[in-house]
Amino acid sequence: MSELILQALYSGVLQGGSYALIALGLALVFGTMKVINLAHGELVLLAAYMAYMVESKLGLSPLFAIPLALVLVCTCAVLVYFLVSLIRKDRELNSLILTYGIGIILTNAVLLIWSADVRSTSSAWFQDAVVVGPFYSMRSELLFFVVASVLMAGLWWWLSRSWYGRAVRAVSSNRDAAKLMGINPRTTEIVSFVVAGILASFAGVAIFSYGVIQPAFGHALTVKAFIITVLAGIGSIPGVMVGGLLLGIAEALTVTLASSALQELVGMALFLLVLFLMPNGLFGAKARRG
Amino acid sequence: MLRLEDLSVRFGGLTAVNTVSLSVGSHEVVGLVGPNGAGKTTLFNAVSGLVKPSSGRILFDSVDMLRTPLHRRARMGIGRTFQVPQPMHELTVRENLIVAQRFGTGAVDARKIDEVLDFTDLTDKAERHAATELALTELKALEVAKALATNPKLLMLDEVLAGLETNGKRRFMGMLKELHEKFAVGILIIEHDIETISNLCHRVAVLNFGELIADGTPDEVFRDPEVMKSYTGASDA
Repeated sequence: MSELILQALYSGVLQGGSYALIALGLALVFGTMKVINLAHGELVLLAAYMAYMVESKLGLSPLFAIPLALVLVCTCAVLVYFLVSLIRKDRELNSLILTYGIGIILTNAVLLIWSADVRSTSSAWFQDAVVVGPFYSMRSELLFFVVASVLMAGLWWWLSRSWYGRAVRAVSSNRDAAKLMGINPRTTEIVSFVVAGILASFAGVAIFSYGVIQPAFGHALTVKAFIITVLAGIGSIPGVMVGGLLLGIAEALTVTLASSALQELVGMALFLLVLFLMPNGLFGAKARRG
Repeated sequence: MLRLEDLSVRFGGLTAVNTVSLSVGSHEVVGLVGPNGAGKTTLFNAVSGLVKPSSGRILFDSVDMLRTPLHRRARMGIGRTFQVPQPMHELTVRENLIVAQRFGTGAVDARKIDEVLDFTDLTDKAERHAATELALTELKALEVAKALATNPKLLMLDEVLAGLETNGKRRFMGMLKELHEKFAVGILIIEHDIETISNLCHRVAVLNFGELIADGTPDEVFRDPEVMKSYTGASDA
């Protein structure tokens, strides 16, 4: 039994890497623009379908879809940014309606182009089992966990060491003060959307390479990303990384110990529990002085 | 250096700043005083770009500020502090300054950062986080440091001394005097304390109900009975 639990923990962590990538994009955009991009999951799904296209139509490894996904998803992310930036009144609320609408359009576009069938990779190389110590996983799971870790380390470096990363944090933590320091907030907003797009591209290809995708899946991903962001506490980037792993683990444990039918439910339960007990999230900002 | 021409700011029916004309020369220290609600901070907000004037002009080095986006004004040399300190919370003290310098001047100069940290007595706190680990005096010093890091020609200080105890106030005032000489900046300062203003400023401008009612040397202005009446809040009785 305990082996089973440990194995579930391991799978959960691997899955959580991609979840964290998706949630980080949502959190970054929320940080700079105070907008919750409800179409974010659909952007991830677009990348996943690029992977499917490259594999099924060109007969190549889904990995080759990454450049294509980067271009398409980042373009879409910037488009979402421009549409959102057109909102002049009550942007925080009205952008919810706008991005939700964009999500529906994207979902239906995917449905139209690729039909409602469930798709998954046929690459044997991806699906081969690899053994690390006592743990098993698909090769693609391990591969993309490594990719996600590298991306998160890169993101952390960028946010804490580079000029633009620091500007993104400055705008997130105090927009007016940042403007008075000479930072153009529009540029940091676009940059955060593009970075979110880059993370979404990798996450999308990852999800296709070890799981199944279908058009309605985008919305579920948005919900997961939102849950993770709230779990972490708004504004906490390391919190989002840990939150992603937590959701992955919670889902994997539920599937192992209870039933896979409850997989989506556990995230919601976790979400409610954290909201009740720690409204600022697990790593949320403490009360501020001054 | 800074010239306001017939500047007005109206919020709906309320005229917060009413046709005020005022100038600050380079290297000049000008005090802006007046009772609460006189429009001092609104005037600051108009110059730094946080509110849009209803009419009038704001010229900085002869450039029309109303056509200059907010984030460019820092680059041109306008630095300001807030009455309630506005640090960038998630950044350390040093990062606050680095960001201010990089985006406010376009260049990075680690020596200048160290100099500003040293000058504002923040060297010990450089790696601390602004939001949770600084005391009020230090937050106020950080406000000044952040503005200094953008290499301003004009420094606008909004009640930097308010809320400090006597010792802190004295230290801070010494710092402001020194700062004026060392960094060769013009200063426009909002302050309630007459002694501070007399001590620090070459000129004083008095606002009351949004209107400029006096503009002169501290001696002249504080002898004006009308000013003193508005200032002490004495009624018509």
